Amino acid sequence: MNRKPVPRDLGRIVALALADARHEWRATLCLVLALAAVLAPLLVLFGLRFGVVQTLTERLAGDPRNLEIVPIGAGRFDKAWFDAVKQWPEVAFVIPRTRAIAASMDLLKPGGPIVNVEMIPTAPGDPVLKDHLPYPSCTAGPDEDPRIVCAGEVHPRMQAGRSDPTDLAPARARDISVVLSASAARKAGGVAARDVIAGVVGRSVDGRQDNVRITVRVIAVLPEAAYIRDAVFVPLELLDATESFRDGFAEPALGAEGNTRPEGERLYAGFRLYGRTIYDIPRLRDRLLAEKTEVSTRAAEVEQLMSLDRNLGLLFWLIAGIGTAGFLLSLGVSLWGAVERKRRDLAILRLLGFRSRATVAFPVVQAAAVAVLGAALAMGVFAIVAGVINSHFAGSLGVGETACRLLPVHVAIAIGTTLICALAASALAGGRVARIDPSEGLREV
Amino acid sequence: MEDTGSLLSLRGITKQRLAPGARFELHIDELDIAAGERVALVGESGSGKSTLLDLVALASRPDSADTFTFQADTGAADVAGLWRDDASDALAVLRAQRVGYVPQTGGLFAFLSVFDNIDLPRRLLSLPNDGTVERLAERLGVADQLRKKPATLSVGQRQRVAIARALAHGPSIVLADEPTASVDPATADIVTDLLLEQTKEHGAALLLASHDWARVERLGLPRIAPDIARERTSEGVVVRSTFARLS
Repeated sequence: MNRKPVPRDLGRIVALALADARHEWRATLCLVLALAAVLAPLLVLFGLRFGVVQTLTERLAGDPRNLEIVPIGAGRFDKAWFDAVKQWPEVAFVIPRTRAIAASMDLLKPGGPIVNVEMIPTAPGDPVLKDHLPYPSCTAGPDEDPRIVCAGEVHPRMQAGRSDPTDLAPARARDISVVLSASAARKAGGVAARDVIAGVVGRSVDGRQDNVRITVRVIAVLPEAAYIRDAVFVPLELLDATESFRDGFAEPALGAEGNTRPEGERLYAGFRLYGRTIYDIPRLRDRLLAEKTEVSTRAAEVEQLMSLDRNLGLLFWLIAGIGTAGFLLSLGVSLWGAVERKRRDLAILRLLGFRSRATVAFPVVQAAAVAVLGAALAMGVFAIVAGVINSHFAGSLGVGETACRLLPVHVAIAIGTTLICALAASALAGGRVARIDPSEGLREV
Repeated sequence: MEDTGSLLSLRGITKQRLAPGARFELHIDELDIAAGERVALVGESGSGKSTLLDLVALASRPDSADTFTFQADTGAADVAGLWRDDASDALAVLRAQRVGYVPQTGGLFAFLSVFDNIDLPRRLLSLPNDGTVERLAERLGVADQLRKKPATLSVGQRQRVAIARALAHGPSIVLADEPTASVDPATADIVTDLLLEQTKEHGAALLLASHDWARVERLGLPRIAPDIARERTSEGVVVRSTFARLS
């Protein structure tokens, strides 16, 4: 008797399963559509939740106002205090503030109105200015902040004064670069970056008004959203100088004469303090309260928003949980049903000598095809719907913000879960059919 | 493995089926089928012909079996032992290599062309595409239908395709379960004749189940028939069907 080759059924079964799925394309299409119909809304729901929360969180975390800690009343903070606070891990930025009374300046653009604005001390790393300063053309190392490393008009600063002996009215101060808030720039008659304008600080000594006029170079104007009040961001030295000047002392930086400032360390009335993340704010607040520094923060609002997010998240997971359970159940049931319809074909395959595992593979291959096609279709629907949603909300979203989006990892999880459940359901159903004797499946119809 | 000389050797086989209020018992005390032998399996509907056929096709597990051997490459395969050991893969291999099956109706795959249906047992064994399928189709009169799907064929044509598929891989035995039950008498004659002729041509044994005593009589084949005993017990009706060769 001639020797017979060993059957190779697993390779054949893939081709057979796909041929069957193609032949019964209407049934396959129904399964694919059913899968996509349940998966697509889930993806949109998840995309919305992720996109909105992401945007909300980014806004919360990205808005310096939520990171700010404002002292209440005047205090007395020395250099040692600032050096210590700078080292706290929760602190992103801290800078001294002089007394509020000494921190104002009149701005005057040639031909424009005089505007009284608040002087705010700033330094490299200021979260309010961070994203709005012009980049210098020099290059910096990958972990270096070019605004700090590179020289030039990159940050509010005081440079060595230009002493021009031929100028009849020589500037009484050094060259100062500043940043203006949008409202200050507007009220001063439309100041733009690179404008050079005049700043006037005044004092009255023994009933005599003494004004100092300085020249400031505007290196940037903040957008409206970054800072709402009328303000000019200046180097701390200018505030120090103004404070001394207002106190009636001689101030070489402003070219002002007067009594010599007494020796001794300068004490500041306040500070500008920013935490690294919104989660640091409650901790920072508690730390400052512990050393008897009364502060106000937006921690309460942030906490409220975060708890709203948590509650919305719970609702979302409830809905998504029901949806996902329903999706997986319907997927499993329809694939189970598909196997039941194939009982006779599967029985004949086994009668022809296909092993049990090959007959299990038959529905599994089909389920995999359905899962991949259905998931791809759902992704397509999601892409369209997400596009519509995002363009609809484009007006209320900032650049780079999206109302509805998924990360590649979400897509992978969605496809993976779909595939695993599809394969599990069809393998279970196929396994049940494979366990009975081939003759039984054959005779049932 | 032992060599008994015959293709199939069955001793002391039983298989029972349960239905509400009734029990059906199949018994085979002694049955041998020689290589290339063509045998008719006769008996009324419900006498257990299909059950016997499924047992021989290695598609149904016997409840008990003293001896059940199937001649294979390396000697007689111990089918009874394979069932006992749940060696369903080994049984599948034996089916793929040794058995051709013509079901009552078609049993063709709707998603494959006629050619691919006939070719499937060959593809399963990685046999070369050497014109066997075309030759079989030619002999069975379905050569024109090779590219079509089974759904477009008449019932008679489908049975011819099923016969071609049962023979394509050169099996040792072809099992035909009432292959003409659903065709008209004239077609039935043609299909039966083709089945006999082709199994003879391919040297395969044939076990042809039929309830049509007259048709089998005409063929002049050796016959296997059941001796049916009905018994009323407290559990209900017991039908005991004992198959043996008619002398």
